[in-house]
Amino acid sequence: MLTRITGGRVIDPANNRDGVGDVWMRDGRIVDAPQGARAAATYDAAGKIVMAGAIDIHSHIAGWNVNTARLLLPEYHSAAAVRPTTTPLSQVGWTAHETGRLYAAMGFTTVVEPAVSPQHALHAHLELADIPIIDKATLVILGNDDYLLGLLRAKESGLAVQDYVAWTLEMSRSLGIKVVNAGGAAAFKENIRAFSFDDVVPSYGVSSRAIVKALQHAVNALGVPHPLHVHCNNLGLAGNAETALTTIAAAEGLPLHLAHLQFYGYGKEGERDFSSAAPALAEAVNAAKSVTIDVGQVMFGQTVTISSDVLRQFNARNQARPGKWLILDGDANGVGVVPYNYRRNDFYNAVQWAIGLELFLLIEDPWRVFFTTDHPNGAPFTTYPEIFALLMSRDLRSQWLAQLPPAALAVTTLSSIAREYSLTEIATMTRAAPAKLLGLADRGHLNAGAIADVAVYENNIDRAKMFRAAALVFKDGELVVRDGSVTNYRWGRALTVRPERDRAIDRRMRTFYEDRYGLSEEFLKVPEHALGRPEPFTVVPCAP
Amino acid sequence: MQHAWIAGKAAPLESAIAEAAKLFGASRYPLIAGLGTDVAGARAAIALAQRTGAVIDHMNADALLRDLDVMRSSGVMLTTPGETRVRADTLLLVGPRLADGAELLQRLLGKAEQSQRNAGVGRRIFWLCPEGDLARLASAGATIEAIGKDPGDLPGLLAALRARLAGRPTGKARVSSRKLDQVSKDLKTARFGVAIWSAAALDTLTIEMVCGLVNDLNATTRFCTLPFTPGDNAMGVLQTCGWTTGFPMRTAFGRGFAEHDPWLFNSRRLVESCETDCVLWISAYRPVAPEWREPPTIALTGHGAAFRQPPRIQIEVGCPGLDHFAVQHLASTGALTAVEATQPSETISVADVITRIASALPGNGERPC
Repeated sequence: MLTRITGGRVIDPANNRDGVGDVWMRDGRIVDAPQGARAAATYDAAGKIVMAGAIDIHSHIAGWNVNTARLLLPEYHSAAAVRPTTTPLSQVGWTAHETGRLYAAMGFTTVVEPAVSPQHALHAHLELADIPIIDKATLVILGNDDYLLGLLRAKESGLAVQDYVAWTLEMSRSLGIKVVNAGGAAAFKENIRAFSFDDVVPSYGVSSRAIVKALQHAVNALGVPHPLHVHCNNLGLAGNAETALTTIAAAEGLPLHLAHLQFYGYGKEGERDFSSAAPALAEAVNAAKSVTIDVGQVMFGQTVTISSDVLRQFNARNQARPGKWLILDGDANGVGVVPYNYRRNDFYNAVQWAIGLELFLLIEDPWRVFFTTDHPNGAPFTTYPEIFALLMSRDLRSQWLAQLPPAALAVTTLSSIAREYSLTEIATMTRAAPAKLLGLADRGHLNAGAIADVAVYENNIDRAKMFRAAALVFKDGELVVRDGSVTNYRWGRALTVRPERDRAIDRRMRTFYEDRYGLSEEFLKVPEHALGRPEPFTVVPCAP
Repeated sequence: MQHAWIAGKAAPLESAIAEAAKLFGASRYPLIAGLGTDVAGARAAIALAQRTGAVIDHMNADALLRDLDVMRSSGVMLTTPGETRVRADTLLLVGPRLADGAELLQRLLGKAEQSQRNAGVGRRIFWLCPEGDLARLASAGATIEAIGKDPGDLPGLLAALRARLAGRPTGKARVSSRKLDQVSKDLKTARFGVAIWSAAALDTLTIEMVCGLVNDLNATTRFCTLPFTPGDNAMGVLQTCGWTTGFPMRTAFGRGFAEHDPWLFNSRRLVESCETDCVLWISAYRPVAPEWREPPTIALTGHGAAFRQPPRIQIEVGCPGLDHFAVQHLASTGALTAVEATQPSETISVADVITRIASALPGNGERPC
């Protein structure tokens, strides 16, 4: 079926396109304007903005960790049912179904769950399979697991690490590798309470740096498109910008992605020894061309922090708001779930909010800074529209700043920053760049051949309103949203990679799991037929 | 060979499904109880409940919700069966009923190789108030030191231990203060300790006391918990409820959205108060009937279930992981795990029966999701 979206302002930075024109779709793909053909369906987008569907590279939407947060916080969902607009978490839509609905309504068509432990890969994919409309993917966590640390202790070759990484990616059906506080969770099991980049994991004699570098090289050598996704050490601590700067320097010219950099943007200046170090971090990112980051913007309100950085979450458990929490020492990383309420009148929270925006505005290249709240850690993903508005308007930022504690303003530079994001920069940051970062050549743009994921927005001066409810959204060429409401539920797929490996690793892993856990390694498998959806996976090619 | 009965008389599966759909669809307050099924069965049951405004509950919810209530009102430090096996140098078993999970306990106790740091260090095992369980497990070959006996003494014993750990004096406990001090010292010097209990045997305040004790121990050392979860895939169903409804079981859809209330939506209470007028009972792992007197309206059970009076509809379903492929929570992995059928058969699964009931409901197709 031939479909035409006509007369909208098409913003497609991947193809340097910005102008009024048409977008044509046939059989789920974007096509060039056909000669003399008539569209079976035409959608008038005159006066509207047309972009590719948005891609979220880092949002905790599925799996054991997220589900545990749901079970920890029944009261927020209860509030959701009765009063949908009054409590921030309630807007998250605390179920798999609502997650798909709310993302689609904002014009998002692909979302990555960035923290899945191999032991819970099946669980994560079961949840993803129940998220309607959008495509999704997972990043699988390595870097605190006995097998990898054992390889490094034994000084085994980079090839051995590569085979293990490739095996893990295939077993867990993931799109990439994440490392969370490399070595920190393993050290915590040995009663270490603080862990930095050059600290060494007891029993293994391996530093956090060595783990990160080994994984970075393995991911790169395997041709996995998405670079190693790093959650640094010392998250949330005053003065931790040093850790981020050290990690950025350790990229050494190879691709490396640093997640939720806002949580590492903390200096020690000011009366309370807590200040924004965003300018220094932004400068370092601007200079390190192989490094990408996402922000992890904080927004005010109730949320819950869900992190595989078990050491950090353990240390933060007594700051839980409300005062309950769960810490799991897992087979490798584990997880901590700690509810938190970011308050506008709280000095520290206000500084965190400002640091996120500073990073967005001071990092110059929209191809290397990614739009996230680390949902739900900084804020629920339903706050995205407000954040787009803040990025696009200095006036709006000034209004917010006027309501914050003056002491917080004194330790950030946000009020002095004039930059306003253009719609093209927003489209780059949320469409073109994420597709490139994840190696998804078939999306994030509107060139012929791309998957027909298209979002059409009213060109409303109220940008938050504009981005909250897309006028039209197409997924694989099917109309799924009209005026912010889902009109058509369908099932997306999970995107995976399958790099080549030496099959000898399969036998090694069997022996390892039987020896260590008394289990067949098969329990890590994610069989396609377990998910109850036709064709639940799509394999994304790796570089040759 | 398929077995289905209407009012105790053998009937074709099609007729039983059609009749079940008629009854469930006509109900003013439907209840899905038992829910002993795999993830696919739970997903289908929850979807049916959403469509019909039913309540969902699980036969082992009492125990499961005790652990959950402690988590969602305070703080919990957990670990996995795997870490317990390879890392724990100290196990603190709490209260009776642990022999129910004997297989898991054997697995945890049986590990020879521990982490490097613990290599060569013997594992210490304490058991608070084991009641009769100790003898049953002594054959495992592990040396277990019992402290106290009567489970009724457990709250006092835990409180006394916590007090001694904090260096506070205690009143008279059933255990000598010398013993208490010895145990608290041993717990404090654990490198990686794990407390284990079965919620079937403890009340919430006792569980909270164990969790508090473990939290206290983490001030200076590492200590976690590994609660044994009840059977019939209770944990798998809990997880499935979580992502599909946002809540545990004991959740209702009668008002058009999910509402969770552990008292209001307790299946036993709903039956005994006659609030529900149609019960769909599911027990695919074991052929068990509900604990209450009245027979369920519709029963999906494994082979050989005996009811005091025949249910209106009874359909024999396959055992997950035995008759058919299943995803279920395994105690050995501590995770949702894919299990291939060990004795594949044609017996219909819970998911298939419920899906067919759902598509035979009157007014099918009116509600799109």
